[in-house]
Amino acid sequence: MSTIRIRSPAAYWLAVPAALWMLCAVVVPALLILWVSFWGGRQFSAASPLVLDNYTRFFGNQTYMNLIVQTLIHTATLMAICGVLGYCIAYFLVVKVRNAKLRTALFLAFIIPFWTSALIRAIAWVPFLGTNGVINNALMGLGLIDRPVEVFLYSRTGISMAQVSLYTLMASGPVVYMLAQIPPALREAAMTLKAPPGVVFWRIIFPLTLPGVVIGQVLVFLNVMADFATVATIGGNKIALLANLILNFYEGAQIRAAAVVSVILMACMLIGVVAAMRVVDIRKLGA
Amino acid sequence: MRSRLTGWALGTLTVGFLLYQWMPIATLSLLSFSGPTGGTTFPMNGVSLHWYRELWDASIMNDFKPPLWRSFVLALACSAVTTVLAVTAAQAMRGKFRGHNAFFYLLLLGIMAPGLLVGFGVALMARMLGVEPSWNGTAFLVHVSWTLPFGFMAMLAIFNRFDARIEEAALTLGATRWVAFQRITFPIVLPGIIGAALFGFSLSYDEFARSMFTTGADQTLPLAVLAQMDRQLTPELYAIGTATTVTSFFAILACIGSLALIRRSMRRG
Amino acid sequence: MPEAPVLAQLDLELRNLRKRFGSFVAVDGVSLQIAKGQFVCLLGPSGCGKTTTLRCIAGLEEPDDGDILIGGREVTRDAPWQRDIAMMFQDFALFPHMSVAKQVGFGLEMLKRPKAEVARRVAEVLKAFEITPFADRKPASLSGGQKQRVALARAMITEPRLLLLDEPIGALDYSLRETVMIELKALQRRTGISFIWVTHDQNEAFSLGDHVVVMNHAKIEQQGSPEDILQRPRTPFVAGFVQGNNVFRGTIAGMVRDQALVRTALGEFEVPLLGAVPTLGSAASFSVRAERLRPTPEAAWHNRMTLTCQTVEYFGSVRRYILARPDGEVIKLDQFGAEPAYLRVGEEAVLGWRTEDGMLHEGAPA
Repeated sequence: MSTIRIRSPAAYWLAVPAALWMLCAVVVPALLILWVSFWGGRQFSAASPLVLDNYTRFFGNQTYMNLIVQTLIHTATLMAICGVLGYCIAYFLVVKVRNAKLRTALFLAFIIPFWTSALIRAIAWVPFLGTNGVINNALMGLGLIDRPVEVFLYSRTGISMAQVSLYTLMASGPVVYMLAQIPPALREAAMTLKAPPGVVFWRIIFPLTLPGVVIGQVLVFLNVMADFATVATIGGNKIALLANLILNFYEGAQIRAAAVVSVILMACMLIGVVAAMRVVDIRKLGA
Repeated sequence: MRSRLTGWALGTLTVGFLLYQWMPIATLSLLSFSGPTGGTTFPMNGVSLHWYRELWDASIMNDFKPPLWRSFVLALACSAVTTVLAVTAAQAMRGKFRGHNAFFYLLLLGIMAPGLLVGFGVALMARMLGVEPSWNGTAFLVHVSWTLPFGFMAMLAIFNRFDARIEEAALTLGATRWVAFQRITFPIVLPGIIGAALFGFSLSYDEFARSMFTTGADQTLPLAVLAQMDRQLTPELYAIGTATTVTSFFAILACIGSLALIRRSMRRG
Repeated sequence: MPEAPVLAQLDLELRNLRKRFGSFVAVDGVSLQIAKGQFVCLLGPSGCGKTTTLRCIAGLEEPDDGDILIGGREVTRDAPWQRDIAMMFQDFALFPHMSVAKQVGFGLEMLKRPKAEVARRVAEVLKAFEITPFADRKPASLSGGQKQRVALARAMITEPRLLLLDEPIGALDYSLRETVMIELKALQRRTGISFIWVTHDQNEAFSLGDHVVVMNHAKIEQQGSPEDILQRPRTPFVAGFVQGNNVFRGTIAGMVRDQALVRTALGEFEVPLLGAVPTLGSAASFSVRAERLRPTPEAAWHNRMTLTCQTVEYFGSVRRYILARPDGEVIKLDQFGAEPAYLRVGEEAVLGWRTEDGMLHEGAPA
C-alpha cells in the first residue's frame, strides 16, 4: 500500500509524459538515422529511394575500415586501463580504508571532478601535454629528456591520458557498489576454510563483483566510443576516431555518410551492451 | 592487517590517480590568473585578473556573456521539467503499471545513447519537420532527454529508501492518496528532489555533445568554448573553465548538503 | 572441570588473552583450557567479549597480548588459513555464487586434495547432513534450516580439531532451534571434535555445554559445569545474569563459625563462608535460588522474611511467585507446577531457606 495504487490507471498516466518525451527525443531520432542511412539520391527528401549504396561506399574505403579497427583498439585499451585502475581504487576505498572519514574524503576527491564539465577537464589537459607543456618541462627538469618530446599533444597517447582521467570513475563506481555489498563474513568464512588471501580474492570477491566490472566496462566502452570532444581538443585535427567522422561528415553536409557512421557506431554499441547483458543482469544493479 | 603491503600499493595507486585527476584542473585554475603577457602554459609572467577582465570586456566576436546567459536559462528550464517529470515517472514506477519494465529501459536508453547521435537524429527530425534548430527549441528537447533519466534514477533510489509504511500510516489515519502524497511523501523526499534538480541543472549546463547539431546559430556556453578552442586557445578559456568549475563545486556542495539532509530526516523518521 | 590434563592433550589453551579496539577493551586477560572433545559454551551479554575471543581463536583478530595454543601448538601469530579450526558464522556466510556441493567441497579443495577424493567426501557429507537433494542449488534458494546444514557441512568436512560457532542458531526460527541443538550435541559426541559455541542465550549454553564460560566486561566471571554455575554462582553478575536467582546486597555484620552474617534492607541473614574471610563491615552480596525458598519455613531455619505476593506466573512445570520487597525490588519463589499453589495474589507470607542454600559472592557487589 502506498500513495499510488498498483496497476492503477493513474500510474500509467503519470508515466506517459516522460515516455513520450523519451520517444520523441531518443527513439524516433535513432530510427530516423537508420532510415536516412539508406537514402539514395542527393536531395534531403523523405521520398528518397532506399538503397545500400551509402554502406557499400563506406565499407569499400580502406581508410574508414582502418578507422573502425583503430577506434575499437583504442576503446579496448581504455577499457583495460580504466578497468584495472578503477578496480584497484574501488578495492582500496571499500576494503582497505578503515577510517570512515578518510574514506569519504578520498571518495569525494575521486568523484567531484566527474560532476564538473568534461569539456573543461579535457581542455585542462592541453597545457600539460604540449611540447612546451608541464609534462615536458618536468621531464626535462628531471633530466630524463633533453629535448621536448611530441608524443603527448596531438597524439593517441595524449588522448588516452586525458580519457583515463575522465572515465576511470565509470569503471570504478559499479565495482564500489558491488564490493560494499559483500558481507565481511564471506571473506572470513573463506579464510577459516583454509583459503589464503589471493585465493579468497579470486574465488570469492572477484566473482561477486563481476557484475560491477561488466557494467563499468560497458560505461567506459559507450563513452569512449562516443567521445569526440576529447579527441578533437587534444588530438587537434590530426587524430580522428569514428565519432569525429560523424562530425566531419555532418559539417561537410554529407548527411547520408554521417548516418551510415552513426548506424555503425550504434551497432557496435548495441553488440557491446547485449554481450555484457549476457554476462550480468543489468537490472540487479539498477534501482 | 596481514596484507599491509597490498594496502600500501593500492593506496599509492589511488592517491597517485587522484593527483593525476586533479592536477590539470589545478593547473588550469592557476594559469587563468597569469599576467597579461602570459601564454597558455608556464611561465605565468605575473599574477593578475587580466584574463577575467578580458572575458568581461570582450569584443562581439568572442563575447561569452550571451552564451552563458542562454546556458543558464536552458539549464534552469531543463532542471524544472526534469524535476516534475522525474517525480511523476518514479511515482508511476512505484505503481508497477503494465510495461513498467519497458519504461525503465526506455529511460535507461537516454543515459546509454551517445549524445552526438541523439543530437544528429533530432537535427534530422527538425529538418524533416521544417523546424529551425535553436537553443530554446530542439536543444531543450534533447537536453531534457539527457537530464530526465538521471533525475528518474535518482528519484527511484530515493523512493526505494523511503519507508512506505509511513504512507500506510497516513492512509490508515484517513488521508486520501493525494493528500498523503502532498503532506507526507513529498516533504520527506523534498531534499532528494532538490538534489535531483541541481544535478539536472549541472548536467544540462555542461552538455555539449547533444547540443552540437541542435542549437543553431545562438550557441550555448560549452559550444562557444569549443568554437573558441577551434580558433585559438587563450588563457580566457582557462578563466571560463575555472569560473564554470567553481560554479559546479557550489552546485555539488548544495547537492551533498541536500543528500545529507534527506539522510538525517529519514533517520529521524 | 576435572584436573587439568597434560598440555599436549588440550584442544585449546588461551593464556592471558588481551584485545582492545581503540580505547575499548574487548578481551581482558582471558585464560581458558579446553580438554579433548569438549562442548564449551561462551555465554554473556552482548559486548562482553565472547565473540572477540572466538575471533581471536579463529585468527580473524590479532590479540594484543597473550598466547593461543591449538592442540598444544602455538598459533597466536598464525593466519586463519593456517589453523586447525573451522567456523560457523552467525548468518552462515554461505558463498552466494557457489552451489551447495561446491561450497561444501571448498575446504578440501583448499587443502589440495585430489578431485576424486573431494567428490567422494562431498557426496558422503551431503548424505550425512541430508542435503543431497540441494547439491546443485545456490544458497539463495534454501530455507534457513537448509542453510544451517550447508554451513555446518562446509565447516565439518575438513574434520578440524576445533569447531568455532558464533551464535550458530540465532538466525533460525524458534521452532527449529531445539531440534538443531539436539542434532549438534549428538554430532559433537559422535565426532569428538571440540565445539566452542558463543551465545547470549543461557538455555542454549546450559543445555548444550559440558563446560560453560560466563563472560562480562571482557573478563571471565565464572566457568564450570552448567550445574556448578546454576547452583553456585560465584559473583553478583553471574547470580543476576543466570535466571532464577534472588540477589541480596548488604554488609558483613558478623562472623559465626563458618558462616557470615549479612545485614540487608530485609534483615540479617546467615550465609556459609567460602574460602577467603571477608572483613567486618565490608560490602557483600549473596544469592538464593528461587526454588530453594520455602513458605512456612522450619523453626530451625534462621533465614526468613515476610513479604506480599504480587503476581503468580504459571509455566506448566513451574509456578513462579513474584513477591514485593520493601526496597522496590522483587523476590522470586518457584514451586513445582504439579503441586497445589502455595499462595494467592495479595497474600502475605513468611519465606525462609536453609543457611547452606545461600551462596556468598566473591568481590564487592556491583
